[in-house]
Amino acid sequence: MTQKISRRDFLKLAGVGAATTAVLTGCGPAAKFVTRQPYLKMPEYTYNGESTYYATTCRECAAACGLVVRTMQGRAIKVEGNKANPVNLGKTCARGQTTLQGLYNPDRVTAPTKQGRAKDLSGSAMNWDDAVATVSDILKKYKASEIAFLMGTAPDHLFDLATDLTGAMGASAPVRYGALSMFEGRATLAQAAQEMFGQPALPFFDLASADVVVSFGANFLETWVSPVAYTRGYSKLRKGHDRRRGLFFQFEARMSQTGSVADEWIALRPGTEGLVALALGKLVAEARGGSMPKAFASVNVNEAAEKAGVELEALHVIAEEFAKANAPLAIVGGPALAHSNGVETTKAVYALNAAFSSSFFLSPLAPGEDVYHRPASAQEMSEFVKKLESGAVKALFIHGVNPAFELPKSLGFEAALKNVETVISFATFPDETALLSDYIFPDHHALESFGYQRAYTGANASVLSGLQPAVTPFVDTKATADVLLAAAAQAGFPFPYADEFAFIQGKLQQFVPIAGGSFAAPEINAFTAFFQQFGGWWKQADLVAPTASNGAVNAPEAEFEEGEFFLIPFVSPTLGEAGANKPWLQETADPTTTVMWNTWVEINPETAHELGVENDDVVKIVSAAGEVEASVYLYPAIRPDVIAIPFGQGHTAYGQFAAGRGVNPADLFGAKFNAAGDLAYAGVKVRVEKTGKKQYLSRLESKIGVYGEGLGEEH
Amino acid sequence: MTTIDLNMVGAKGALVEAAEGKWGMVIDQDLCTGCQACVTACAMENNIAFVGEEDAGYGRSMHWIRIERFWEGHYPHVKMTHYQPMLCQQCGKAPCEPVCPAFATVHSQSEQVNVQVYNRCVGTRYCGNNCPYQVRSFNWFDYNDERINKAIATLKHQFNPDVTVRRRGIMEKCSFCIQRIHKAQDKAKSEGREVADGEFTTACAQACPADAIVFGRVDNPESLVSQLMAEGHGVQHLSELGTLPRVTYLVGGQ
Repeated sequence: MTQKISRRDFLKLAGVGAATTAVLTGCGPAAKFVTRQPYLKMPEYTYNGESTYYATTCRECAAACGLVVRTMQGRAIKVEGNKANPVNLGKTCARGQTTLQGLYNPDRVTAPTKQGRAKDLSGSAMNWDDAVATVSDILKKYKASEIAFLMGTAPDHLFDLATDLTGAMGASAPVRYGALSMFEGRATLAQAAQEMFGQPALPFFDLASADVVVSFGANFLETWVSPVAYTRGYSKLRKGHDRRRGLFFQFEARMSQTGSVADEWIALRPGTEGLVALALGKLVAEARGGSMPKAFASVNVNEAAEKAGVELEALHVIAEEFAKANAPLAIVGGPALAHSNGVETTKAVYALNAAFSSSFFLSPLAPGEDVYHRPASAQEMSEFVKKLESGAVKALFIHGVNPAFELPKSLGFEAALKNVETVISFATFPDETALLSDYIFPDHHALESFGYQRAYTGANASVLSGLQPAVTPFVDTKATADVLLAAAAQAGFPFPYADEFAFIQGKLQQFVPIAGGSFAAPEINAFTAFFQQFGGWWKQADLVAPTASNGAVNAPEAEFEEGEFFLIPFVSPTLGEAGANKPWLQETADPTTTVMWNTWVEINPETAHELGVENDDVVKIVSAAGEVEASVYLYPAIRPDVIAIPFGQGHTAYGQFAAGRGVNPADLFGAKFNAAGDLAYAGVKVRVEKTGKKQYLSRLESKIGVYGEGLGEEH
Repeated sequence: MTTIDLNMVGAKGALVEAAEGKWGMVIDQDLCTGCQACVTACAMENNIAFVGEEDAGYGRSMHWIRIERFWEGHYPHVKMTHYQPMLCQQCGKAPCEPVCPAFATVHSQSEQVNVQVYNRCVGTRYCGNNCPYQVRSFNWFDYNDERINKAIATLKHQFNPDVTVRRRGIMEKCSFCIQRIHKAQDKAKSEGREVADGEFTTACAQACPADAIVFGRVDNPESLVSQLMAEGHGVQHLSELGTLPRVTYLVGGQ
């Protein structure tokens, strides 16, 4: 027992205390770790009963929010937002808070494992020397063109290392992907910005400076792009300027959590968002007088309202508010981007901003970047999967992404993986992809890692958020960067870096001479110490409103599959793409339905009545690509011709809290893409079949449905 | 600002609203987005057990704070009411207190909050029955015992050493993060000063990305809570019951 609770190594790094910095600035990388000492002899900056705090970065999504981790006697106790980080300014979301349940999760991969593509985590443990030798053998054995890297959405130091490594070897650059980036429609946003403003940047919607906001499907308060930053902005919008409360309207077919706080939620026919945006633009331009922007000139407002199934009066009311506003702003996101006409829809909303808004900007570029490097779109992933399938890739390294779960089944990743000779996963958790791998060489959890990550949106600053270990590794993991560096050295690709820390310092070097950053330091060791103390380095960026080419914008009709109902899959606001393994996230109620621990199908009560299904009846949802079964939730705020299913559950692995729970709506997606290459998943149509089964959902809101009491009385 | 002698506060007795030492909370429902950050922050800070799907379905989940929401109207003119974070209202005259046969739920004299003394609690659940806000949760099992919930064996490393881990048969509820109050008071006392407004806050308020939750001294007119309460559009839930809730909800907007 003493062994179990004995205090682990402390890292000799700057915490938040200013005094520590002075001590540390002289330390080179050699002094990174304090040697393990008996319990009686505390490291000098630790006291019984006193906490030590470490600034780092949240890795639960790609937003790069800063964290301050409270540790006590070597254990991480609580995470708080880092007040200095411009992205979140001291705030966190639900997923960030539970990152500790990932760190101390009972289902982590505890050692390097020869997995051998077994169905469960039954592979034999290895030691790290053999693991490094295995990687180096692979680097030697295969030609550079036969080696591929697949990584997560967030552009971090490991991505830079893999980029350098593949560059040195002559292999193709690492591919980044995540389910969230697919649901966010990043390729669509960037493509539309390229076409309208000549730059493939992500947009930055400055809610804080706006007073009337109209959103077309954007779920910006949930998981979209940088939810904490947008929630901060939303709060400012509501607090208002000169005590005038800002207004917020949402157009979407199914009331999302974001839509639920809108002053007016207007249901429209999926795929007509762009048309409505143009109609709104025309009404606003007419109300304001002056010349009619070309984008809105040709749209017929009455026709648009009819096509979208929106009351004309509602459109007029919103247009009037928008026209009156000092700082109106239009946002686009969510399923609106995931139609065949997603790029045009985005352009229509951008045109609305270009014509009327002073709160719309292109996101500042991250430090050291000249252009926004977006993650791979679903179409690019589809091509990547085809490459795997062809057998052209002999060795695949996977880090920070779980494609067997995060890529729609229709892209055929699992089958393609069979044609790859050697698959190495660096997963911290035994996720679906890790189990399909030949080896699992687990990386540290984010709270045990060094690193940095570029933030792409959410702040009016150019942000490089820093990571440092708050605790020593809890299980026998090794930094993937160290594995790659050691293996590369063994394989004869000499890198000028001894280890991960040296690599990070090497990359930070370029920022030392730059003036006007959040701190200044004379040389790299001092810079690194400050970087760790403040949790990153950032530089104020002047937000410039982009100038648009005043061209015409079309709103073509969205294409749909054959089927009875529109399908709206949405990322679970509580689970996100990778939260299902954390028990407290599972037990956190979905904001709009209050369902916990499972997947549900949202159906309008009227529709359900016609179909003859009630709450908790299990229905089968069938699309052209697949089918799933889940319990019905009668959702009052959804169009009668639409059904909605949350994404986040449906794991077959990924630990005891995730596996065998709920279904994955991505199984219903076909392989159709929009013009930017994003998956046109919102074009999927489905039919609903009764199964006669009942599976009660656990809900926070009432006991109805569990005891079976009161069923049928509520509507 | 009023000076507070902690030794003097509470001399008036537990059931009377003391003028001094009052901690309170303001929740702006117009800002709340329902994001649940407060819920998980609270769980992480206060070692709250998770109970699993089945028990959660039976209404046994242990949330100290939950986000309520109600529906109005029918499609297409359907509206969701403002999200309403619901937690222990720290009533000045708390209905839970007089019914406890073990004096396990009492008013603390120094902080003027409604405290739950776990080692006195015998699990009659009378307090839970009598709470009009339904914010007390009962440990039906030893959820946080690794012999029963094996996952706790590793998850317990995250537990906050400042907060007790509760056992089966114990009632629990929001404590206004009393461990944080004490820490701030101790620190201020050792530095010979008073706790400054905003020096510390509860876990829920700290996490809230919309700044919808504000915590502080309601007996200090300068504090942000007092100023928000003075804005005039605040309501206290079920105040007609005479509970003297310490949480004020701002329901502006719309």
